[in-house]
Amino acid sequence: MERFADLLIAAVLLAGLYSTMAYGLGLIYGVLRIVNLNHGGMIMAGAYAGWYLHHALGVDPYVSLLPVAAVSFGVGILVYRLLVRRLPRGAAGGVQSLLLLFGVWLMVRNAAYLMFTGNDQTLRTSYATRALSVGSALISVNRIAVFGVAVAILIALHLLLTRTYVGKAIRAVAQNADSCTLVGIPVERIYALTFGLGTALAAVAGLLGASLFPFNPSFGASELLKSFVVVVLGGLGSVAGTAVAALILALVEVFAILVIPAYLTAAVGFVLLVLVLVVRPGGLFGQRVLG
Amino acid sequence: MVSPGGYLEQCKKKWFCYRAMRTRTVALVLCALAIAACKKPSDQQQPGQGGSTPAAAAPATGVLIGATLPLTGAESRIGGFYKEGYELAFEQATQSGGISVGGQKMPVRLTLLDDTSTQATAASLADRLINSDKVHFLLGTYATNLVEAQSVVAEQNNIPYVNGGGAATAIYKRGYKWVFGLLAPVELLAESVMKWVDAEQQAGKLPKPASIALLWENTSHGKDFRKGITEFADKTKGYKVTVDESFELNGKDFSALLGQVKAARADLFLADAHLPDYITMQRQYVTAGLCHKVISYGARGSEKQAAEALGKKNVEHVISAVWWSPLLADKNPEAKKFVEAFKAKYAGRTPEWYQALGFETARALFTAIEQAGSIDRKAVREKLATMKIPSLLPGGELTFPKEFGQQTHAPFVVQQNMPDGTAPIVAPPDSATAKGIAPNPNCAK
Repeated sequence: MERFADLLIAAVLLAGLYSTMAYGLGLIYGVLRIVNLNHGGMIMAGAYAGWYLHHALGVDPYVSLLPVAAVSFGVGILVYRLLVRRLPRGAAGGVQSLLLLFGVWLMVRNAAYLMFTGNDQTLRTSYATRALSVGSALISVNRIAVFGVAVAILIALHLLLTRTYVGKAIRAVAQNADSCTLVGIPVERIYALTFGLGTALAAVAGLLGASLFPFNPSFGASELLKSFVVVVLGGLGSVAGTAVAALILALVEVFAILVIPAYLTAAVGFVLLVLVLVVRPGGLFGQRVLG
Repeated sequence: MVSPGGYLEQCKKKWFCYRAMRTRTVALVLCALAIAACKKPSDQQQPGQGGSTPAAAAPATGVLIGATLPLTGAESRIGGFYKEGYELAFEQATQSGGISVGGQKMPVRLTLLDDTSTQATAASLADRLINSDKVHFLLGTYATNLVEAQSVVAEQNNIPYVNGGGAATAIYKRGYKWVFGLLAPVELLAESVMKWVDAEQQAGKLPKPASIALLWENTSHGKDFRKGITEFADKTKGYKVTVDESFELNGKDFSALLGQVKAARADLFLADAHLPDYITMQRQYVTAGLCHKVISYGARGSEKQAAEALGKKNVEHVISAVWWSPLLADKNPEAKKFVEAFKAKYAGRTPEWYQALGFETARALFTAIEQAGSIDRKAVREKLATMKIPSLLPGGELTFPKEFGQQTHAPFVVQQNMPDGTAPIVAPPDSATAKGIAPNPNCAK
């Protein structure tokens, strides 16, 4: 029973990390219908931004969340305005967007190699190894904080999309961009805003990841894959679905250790992805339009 | 229909067409000039492809040695250390006027490329060094998986390949003739840790039988480590492996795995991990409140970067077995010479085993070339196969025994992180600079 409780806690906390990594990717796909391959690059950039602020200025990673999100939001808007905006819309832009954003990711990664070398970096805080005692289990304070941020982002995104004019406009654009133009919604501005928001969420995920494990410029690649699995499982475009899918993936990965060798648990998510694509191509929660 | 000549006539009448042709002509001339500039002088002789290349016919450019290292990517930090070792060896050779080949001093040049920590790049760059850059010999890269891929290319091209970065026995069990390794096998590493543990058990400091939680990375390195531990446990009957699990390289979450370790309540926690995994796992280990009478991460443990990332307190009493330690300088004259030279070149910095292995790898190749008296690949290979020279490695001697697939079997030194931040050698007894501590006193707190 104790073992079961330990695994359950581990899975829930892991789900927090997975969902923060996937929100941005899901949001951008839901509205712009493009797979942002630079998501991995921005995860890495967020990690370095947090590390730099902590290393050079002594700013706590959780305090850095807001400035890092703000700057990366600006970077996202810039990337949209300079590059993504020029892509053809709809299915025609699919391959081009993959190539373009993959190119941007390579540039970001190589810039990081030039600036920070390939050495592994770690973000060490005073609470990095502190734990809270819950029953017989000790739970990492850092992991609880990451989970808290994941829940906060989920609530904030939900409120943004359902209670604000901008959020409603985002959902409307995701449903039918042409009709939005007819009723006076600034579609281009909404696209830019969504791309900026998705980029900011990726950077936040990177910063949170950096507080948990070492990273280098190649950081972000496996996180992108994991995000992709979560987004597809949850149903492309569904924010709540993304959170639930993250929990399912984490539960499956963590509990798999009871039946298969530990080194195979990472592959379980991909097996799950293939199964879902075959049985329910729209994802576990179907293709929804944000919310 | 327009004939080619006619087209030319027509084209000449249009200024833009003429301009395009002129641009193409200029581009062609520039290309030709560039190729001519890159082309090696015609009097420069190329080395033979595994055949006889006497010193007298050696190129004026000297002995060309090629190498790749992971200067970027996951292993870049350690790749940089190996580079320092190579550079020191080449600098020393250059300062003494080159290496002595058949009675005459010849300059020795290194062509070093970045294999980006990836197997495919390591293999393709080795091919480029041999067949395009025409190097005479190869020095190896770092990390077992890269050496495993790269050594195949060296063997196919019959070129001596001396490496100090691949420890897995799988590399040397393939019956290759041209591959030589300075890193003793990981099985021996595991055995060295267990020998120290056994001595502590014999002294009554550890329970008998002792249970072991064994975690190993899912690579040849990890498999060898597992083999070394389990074989020792089977042989001595004093141990029982209660957890035996592997994990993927560069893992992000070990909580489920460590949960299994916690549930097993073992006496010893023995893992084999690379540095990033060691840092991630040890952080989660400490956070989960785990503590074992003996804790080891194989070759990892005493790294300064880990102490910085985790805090000195959180790496206390970790046992590690390494291929070399600067503390050997007190007892080994070759190690002493190396440490002094390294400190002189790198502003007083103390070398780690990576730089030492890089240096010794290059020195072994230079020695073989000098002993062969030529840059003939076959002759140099023969000298490497029968090599027996004083070395900075523990044990003080370097050989490439045929029975072990030309992989050296120098002993390991076992170190333990002490509360004062030092990591003295605690085994073997003839190299020890301090007494090891067992059981881990932090578990009693």
